[in-house]
Amino acid sequence: MVINNLSFDIEIAAEGKLIVDIRDFSLERGRVTFLLGESGIGKSLISRALYGLLDPAELTVTVNSRPYPEYTAGESVREIQRQGFFVFQEPSSHLNPLMTLGDQLREGTLARATDRSEVLHALWEGADERDLGSILDVYPKPYRPSGGEKQRILLAMALEKIDMRPPSEDRSPEGLFVFDEPSGSLDNHYRNLFLDLLFDRFRKRPFTALVITHDYSMISRVTRTNWDVMDRVDFRELARRRGKLVMNDFEPRTYTGWVEGLRRSTESGLDDPDRKPVLVVEPFLEVFGRRLVVTRDVEGQQPARLTVPRGAMVYLKAPSGTGKTTLVKRVMGLIPGGTFEAKLKDIRLTGTTPRTFWHERIWGRSMTMVFQHADEALNLHSTMRETLLGLPVREPLTTERMTRLAGELFDGDEVGDLLGKKVRMLSGGQKQRLNLLRALALLTDVLILDEPLNGLDFESSTRVIDMLHRKMHAGMGLLVISHNEEIFDALAGVDGTYYLHAGQ
Amino acid sequence: MKIAANTMARIRLAFLSSQHARWAVLWFAGMAVLLGWDLLFLNRPALAQIQTALLNSLVGGFLVVLFSMVLGWLSALGLHYLEQGGNRTSYLLLTFSLNLLRSLPQIIGILLGYVVLTILILQDVLRAPILQVVSMSFVVSLFVFLEVSDLIRERIGHYRALDFFDAMLCCGIKESRIINTEILRKNSLAHLVHKAVAVFGMAVFLQCSIDFIISVGLSTEVSSTNFPATLGSVLARMDSKQDILAIGMVFTDVSYITALAFRHLQGINIAFIIVFTLVCTYNIANGLVRRYHL
Repeated sequence: MVINNLSFDIEIAAEGKLIVDIRDFSLERGRVTFLLGESGIGKSLISRALYGLLDPAELTVTVNSRPYPEYTAGESVREIQRQGFFVFQEPSSHLNPLMTLGDQLREGTLARATDRSEVLHALWEGADERDLGSILDVYPKPYRPSGGEKQRILLAMALEKIDMRPPSEDRSPEGLFVFDEPSGSLDNHYRNLFLDLLFDRFRKRPFTALVITHDYSMISRVTRTNWDVMDRVDFRELARRRGKLVMNDFEPRTYTGWVEGLRRSTESGLDDPDRKPVLVVEPFLEVFGRRLVVTRDVEGQQPARLTVPRGAMVYLKAPSGTGKTTLVKRVMGLIPGGTFEAKLKDIRLTGTTPRTFWHERIWGRSMTMVFQHADEALNLHSTMRETLLGLPVREPLTTERMTRLAGELFDGDEVGDLLGKKVRMLSGGQKQRLNLLRALALLTDVLILDEPLNGLDFESSTRVIDMLHRKMHAGMGLLVISHNEEIFDALAGVDGTYYLHAGQ
Repeated sequence: MKIAANTMARIRLAFLSSQHARWAVLWFAGMAVLLGWDLLFLNRPALAQIQTALLNSLVGGFLVVLFSMVLGWLSALGLHYLEQGGNRTSYLLLTFSLNLLRSLPQIIGILLGYVVLTILILQDVLRAPILQVVSMSFVVSLFVFLEVSDLIRERIGHYRALDFFDAMLCCGIKESRIINTEILRKNSLAHLVHKAVAVFGMAVFLQCSIDFIISVGLSTEVSSTNFPATLGSVLARMDSKQDILAIGMVFTDVSYITALAFRHLQGINIAFIIVFTLVCTYNIANGLVRRYHL
């Protein structure tokens, strides 16, 4: 049997409530399909359903009108699993804590792999056998290795499995390779490395793959470096329209053109002498005994004051784990003590500024911050309306004002329903928009944004960027940290970009 | 087929998630049946005594819960604000005092409290029975409220470790609102209700234990006769003890089991109420844990 094009009608219900209903979801054989969309919309659920991984005791699932147990018992699903590979979103949940990473690389069908060193050396650039050994000999828990290393181990497994495919003349069944947020724990460098390795293999001999992501900047990378195979790459977007899930083709040019437009129209305003600094942070900081240095150059040779002008955006860049979030928390006065000095308008802030002062003068009044993880930053047991209550705004937030405000980031016709909805019932993207909305409702001088586009789809990202533009025009200074370099490089420009380094 | 499966799933879910409600209903039903039986077969003076004891114990239990909640909330918030405000000396002093209280075994602490209460009762300061019940409950709550305080501190600590707390602070939301509304009311109500149920059970148990101890004669003055009747003090009386001992007769003469329900009703009644109430309380608390995934 050879699996031809895979086409699915999937219905998933929990406790009698339909949570996914998608028709004609098709994966063409020998193509790579990118499934885009905001986080929490159901991308992973759909891929798990078609891969036969859902628990029928927890969820009522039908695939192609067949009850789930019947579908998962089918030969086609078993072949998809046997010949393919599924890279889970959360690497820790995939790895066995009782086996070393090296043993897991040789587990099951992967034991037949003849030479795995090529993949490993490619994913661990510059690592020699000893370095690799020190990674492969450890157990995944409790703390070693890092999330990025675990993610690369899973990707190495999947790439090995691709290399192990039977020869093309063998008419044996073909598997499906699913990569669920493969770059979730990787920085852009390793993300690009993975994409290059994937498409190198695809170029040599095509396979069927589904890449699930909410990182739209993958589109630029894929279209730029793999133009020769673009006729065998599909981009689809899963979105909710009027309460229904819909799957549409996504034209790569929509995204790349938008980024290009941002780049062209950026006016960071740093050269404008009328734009006075609203926040200035001294370049040398010490947090939890760790020294951090802010520089203007990527090499870290030119320490510079981090200066956020009024009505402009400043982008702070650094590799994962350097301490970007720690620095902005320090700037927000959430981590007391240590070496720190900043000036907010005419207010001098140091490591010893009393907490009451931050309460009375800074938080929500002069400066505010949007946190990275909406799930943690929001009260999941509140409604959207309650989330916006208690903010120090001049005029009380009436339902009418809330509706108008929410309409800037949500569809106008869905706002009415959403205001009374519990936060935990919102999708990941909706939560992130609410997380942003709470801070954007305030009229502060400075807004700090930690990964503001986390989990958003393309349409929401454009709305958020439009709203940030409006805030800048209103005179707000923005300080952004984000892995989404492509968009924020375009928005902040070279003059608005700073780099963070771990000091000696 | 799908409808039937969904209905079965709902019934299963409802059954699993309503353990606390089922045990609460069972407790009320059990007590109603017992009352009906007592009305038919127990002599009136003994019934009145049991009813008074039950009422005092239940009111006492509820008061202990109330006092513990207030004291727990005050101490937890006091520690939080002293810690956040950098008032190290006051923070250490309060922590030391609370730890001192924690280091004292509950039974010993409550006995000492009862000594003080006896003095007050003998000096006619606490004359009204209701005032005596309130005072007894306050003494018990002094050695129980730390459980509530620890829970509230743990809940605040949990949310402080997440971005939750800082994200709201940064938006200018008042700390008192974050703690009382966002953390305690919206995110910890189930935990607090669960703790309240546990404290209620603990209060009933501690009261019975203390009453039993003082009934055997702690001193000539600290005596159960000085305090309002509770389940423990009625159980500690000689006739109740003999009723309990009569249960042993069943092992040598099985036919004696029927006599237990008629001739030894007072002691059996009290013992049943205590054990049944504690079992139901334990299951209600466990049901809440399961229902809300605490």
